[in-house]
Amino acid sequence: MIPLSAYLVFSAILFCIGLYGVLTRKNAIVVLMSIDIMLNAANVNFVAFSAYSSPFDLSGQVFAALSIAIAAAEVAVGLAILLVVYRVKGRMNVRIFRELRW
Amino acid sequence: MMWVELAWLIPVIPLVAFPFILFFGKSIPKGGGLLAIVAVGAAFFLSLFVVVDVSQGNLPVHGGGEGEPAGGGEAVHAYESSMVWTPVPGPESPLEVGVHIDNLTCLMLIVVSLIGWLVVIYSVGYMAHEEGKPRYYAEISLFIGVMLGLVVANNFLMVFIFWELVGLCSYLLIGFWYKKPEAAAAAKKAFLVTRVGDILFLVGIIAIWNYFGTLNFGAIQEQLKTMLGEGALDVQMLTTMALLVFGGAVGKSAQFPLHVWLPDAMEGPTTVSALIHAATMVNAGVYLVARSYFLFEHAPDALLVVAWIGGITAFMAASMALVSNDIKRVLAYSTVSQLGYMMLALGAAGYSASMFHLQNHAFFKALLFLGAGSVIHSMGTNDMREMGGLGKKMRLTSLTMLVGVLAITGVVPLSGFWSKDEIIVSVFHSGNWPLFLLAVVTALLTAFYMFRLWFMTFSGKPRSKEVDHAHESPCIMTVPLLVLAAFSISTGFIGTPFWPRFQEFINWGHHGGESFGATSGMLMAVSLVVALTGALVAYLLYYRRAASPDRAVSSGAGRAVHTLLTQKYYMDHIYYWFAERVVYGFTRVCDAFDIRVIDGAVNSMSDGAVRAGGRWRRSVSGNVQHYAVGIVIGLCLLILLLKFALPPLDELLGGWPGLSRWRWWEGWGW
Repeated sequence: MIPLSAYLVFSAILFCIGLYGVLTRKNAIVVLMSIDIMLNAANVNFVAFSAYSSPFDLSGQVFAALSIAIAAAEVAVGLAILLVVYRVKGRMNVRIFRELRW
Repeated sequence: MMWVELAWLIPVIPLVAFPFILFFGKSIPKGGGLLAIVAVGAAFFLSLFVVVDVSQGNLPVHGGGEGEPAGGGEAVHAYESSMVWTPVPGPESPLEVGVHIDNLTCLMLIVVSLIGWLVVIYSVGYMAHEEGKPRYYAEISLFIGVMLGLVVANNFLMVFIFWELVGLCSYLLIGFWYKKPEAAAAAKKAFLVTRVGDILFLVGIIAIWNYFGTLNFGAIQEQLKTMLGEGALDVQMLTTMALLVFGGAVGKSAQFPLHVWLPDAMEGPTTVSALIHAATMVNAGVYLVARSYFLFEHAPDALLVVAWIGGITAFMAASMALVSNDIKRVLAYSTVSQLGYMMLALGAAGYSASMFHLQNHAFFKALLFLGAGSVIHSMGTNDMREMGGLGKKMRLTSLTMLVGVLAITGVVPLSGFWSKDEIIVSVFHSGNWPLFLLAVVTALLTAFYMFRLWFMTFSGKPRSKEVDHAHESPCIMTVPLLVLAAFSISTGFIGTPFWPRFQEFINWGHHGGESFGATSGMLMAVSLVVALTGALVAYLLYYRRAASPDRAVSSGAGRAVHTLLTQKYYMDHIYYWFAERVVYGFTRVCDAFDIRVIDGAVNSMSDGAVRAGGRWRRSVSGNVQHYAVGIVIGLCLLILLLKFALPPLDELLGGWPGLSRWRWWEGWGW
């Protein structure tokens, strides 16, 4: 049996990869993808905890499924925004999206 | 229904007329003058009825307090009626609004309302061609109204309120021609100088309130009587209070060293000068001392100060009047001098003499001022050097002025003689020889400068061509002159040593002064001789031209004295020096403190905030990834805090039912 800590370490690595992507990549689409990686790290945690703490209760799995659906919706909205920004700016670099500052 | 119960209406009528004249003056005949005449006239006739009531002892009997008939033994002296204005916490009696009518009030009521009325009537002629008549009549009826209010008030606080209003009105009226810089300056000077005295008066009122716990005249008097009976009177405290109250009187009555405002107050219309000098403003100070005489009576030191201030003022002002060439200024100095006389008499225990002189002076000084106004009205100048020979052109004015001059000089049997003689008698009886000499010398100087004024104005040859165009003033101006002249001749007779009706009246039945005897006969002769000597010198110098006064002052000691007098004893210079060096210096220190410390603190705080904001806003870069880094750092910090710095979560969140329901942190070891 694979111990719970293995899932949690995996989830932490996944979260850190996503975080690294969010903080360092220039391309807005990659940033969006990284956010989804972080989200999925959380989903792994949900499922792992649920499976280990109460194996016959699927609430963690259901929650993860719900979260995936919401993430899909969020990505749809995010991509739509990025599409519009791309039309205005002609580029996909997040560091030039700086209109909202002092 | 007795008239005296309507006494409260006396000040109210002119006060009510004030806003009406101010707002609707343009649609009232004579620019509001008619309403002013009616209002002040009504106040006068009401005063007259009240005085008749009081002099016949026809006063209403009311329960308790003062004025109780006491089973027919003691006569009723005063009528008092008041209502509570506002209660005061503590054992002190409440602040009240009320009227107090006694014989002193009666005297002042008649003087103020009658002279005020005549002045208002005269104004219709004098101010006929002026702009802003509604303002003038409104302010003048306010002036008379508040003065009447001051006179009938039954406690110190009310007196103080009206006192300040009198000061305000004098400011407004002296500065009536406010477009003229001198008038505006004179108004400010009058207001500020009298304000010095007002502060002392206010402090005195607070001291009285602390000591007696009431401000009502009657109540204070009763307390003093019981304290005196028990020997529990603190004379030093009493002296302090009396002197503080006297400080207020020094300001309003233009006594040394606060006399400097009155000569400058000549910048206002002459009618206003007449009113200020004869009826209202300056009499307020003398009235105040007379009204609070119960404080002074048992404080001999305070009385001595009053006498000396009065004597010095009388002499100084008379000497300054010797060299002035402005007809109104001479009269102003003579007012200051005569007020000094009244104070001197009060200080020398000549209470009735002082009040007698106040009454007589009011009439002849109003006469002199209105006469001077008549001259100025037709000449267009105040300078006596440009007059001369006006006697033929303005016969009525010159004759009535002569009556006034004779009265103020103290020529028998005009009014000034009787009261001035009585003052000299009371000073003589006080046994203070320097003061007696001051009084006699002042009488000499008074006679000289008043006759100098008359001769320079009305006799001799014309000294400018304006005299040729001079003409007698209209009836509305000469009739008040005639009325005042009649009063100036006759008011003395009610207080002669042979028939001291006035003294009996003002002293509540008993004759204060002593009866006619050898001493007073001799003093009478002295004062008459002194007056005639002064008049004779003026006659020789300014009518016969026996010697040239100009040559006497052209060199040596005469010149030095002349300079000293024309420079008004350098009093103005001293005040300017004081204001410029001491007051202004102190102001600059305060200003520097304000700018450096107070403004500095506020400004540096706001500057710091602006600068900090300028630095901090750089952190808002607009780059989303920077914000994300911030979020991550914040999260890390929060975790570290929870792990190491903050108390256990159980303690931190245990009290919050919503957060602590599942105890989700249990087993974390945090």
